Amino acid sequence: MANIIDVPKPRINSSMLSQHINRPVCFVGRVEKVHPTGKTFTVSDGEGKVATVELNDPLEEELSGAVEVIGMVSNKGVIMATTYNMLREDKGIPFDVQLYNEALKIIHDFPQHYPFEGAASG
Amino acid sequence: MWNQGGFADSSMGGGYTQSPGGFASPSMSQGGEKKARTRATQIIPCTVSQLMSASQADEAFKVGDVEVAQVTIVGIIRSTDKSMTNIQYKVDDMTSAPMDVKQWVDTEDPGVDGTVLSPGTYVKVSGNLRSFQNHRSVVAFSVRPLEDMNEVTSHMLEVVHAHMALCKPQTTTSAGGMNSSMASMSRTNVGNMGSMGSVGGGYSGANMVNNGLNASQNQVLSLIRSCPDQQGISIQDIKQRLSGISINIIKQAVEFLSNEGHIFSTIDEDHYKSTDNDE
Repeated sequence: MANIIDVPKPRINSSMLSQHINRPVCFVGRVEKVHPTGKTFTVSDGEGKVATVELNDPLEEELSGAVEVIGMVSNKGVIMATTYNMLREDKGIPFDVQLYNEALKIIHDFPQHYPFEGAASG
Repeated sequence: MWNQGGFADSSMGGGYTQSPGGFASPSMSQGGEKKARTRATQIIPCTVSQLMSASQADEAFKVGDVEVAQVTIVGIIRSTDKSMTNIQYKVDDMTSAPMDVKQWVDTEDPGVDGTVLSPGTYVKVSGNLRSFQNHRSVVAFSVRPLEDMNEVTSHMLEVVHAHMALCKPQTTTSAGGMNSSMASMSRTNVGNMGSMGSVGGGYSGANMVNNGLNASQNQVLSLIRSCPDQQGISIQDIKQRLSGISINIIKQAVEFLSNEGHIFSTIDEDHYKSTDNDE
């Protein structure tokens, strides 16, 4: 089974989850609530819609702010995360999720100029 | 955004060389030449997927119709491998498998060791696309960690914009015209409706004549050009012939065209001839 890192991971928001069931995706949003077990949390996208993320192993750090999650979308529209990284905002420049959402719409409007495809290099 | 990423820089450079002569005059042929001259020196924002699937003819790569040599990509470092002479990263921008990025290390420079970036760092890579034994990689002259994550967003937009602007054959001149319009927009007064009209037109595959003039300016200019008389055509004549345009708009157009050098006054301030002969 191919490592999820080595395949294309389309950038999506909550509205697009249903079109990517059982496919790898990259989801960017703001952390909303972290479950006490640390194994699941919710994120809101640039449109304010909330998605749920589930982890294999509980979180080992405080999760907050803007985060980028990579994982497979389950039948129920939950993102089964393989990995995540927090988007740094330590230089005092907040990450604009709404602007990112606008960019998302554009790259999906022009897939010929922003393709998510291809295999690993030779 | 226009000052970030070399794409705008090199095109603006082309715009500056054009503008002394061709501020608002048609820059069709100039635009064509400019493209041929600067093709090898453009730096194009790309996705990893585009670099992987680019076609190759000798040493030249093409993404669709767009020639790419120097490129920028933005992604997250998945792995780092440092050797004596170079640092190898794998940079993932989500569009494909991570791209191999090689950065040569200056062994004379003791400060370089501190600049090795660790996995999990978002970076902007600037470098040249290479292919060796069918294996694509980027040889980077710059690997800069991002401090502002909004650069991820702006790179996405820059990629779509750059490839769209460089791709369509009909907008080749618009791309050149658009950039010289942008240059003239920042140089001349913002009230120049003509330039702004062309920029908008360039995007949607313009129906507008892309010479930096708006509709009424173009109509007035055409009329003045078509007049064979020595003393030129008077403003009153123009008003009669273009009944749909108010006298004020006509006077403003005449003043603008005169300032730009398209027309000149003859026997008095009401009569004008075109500077372009034998159209």
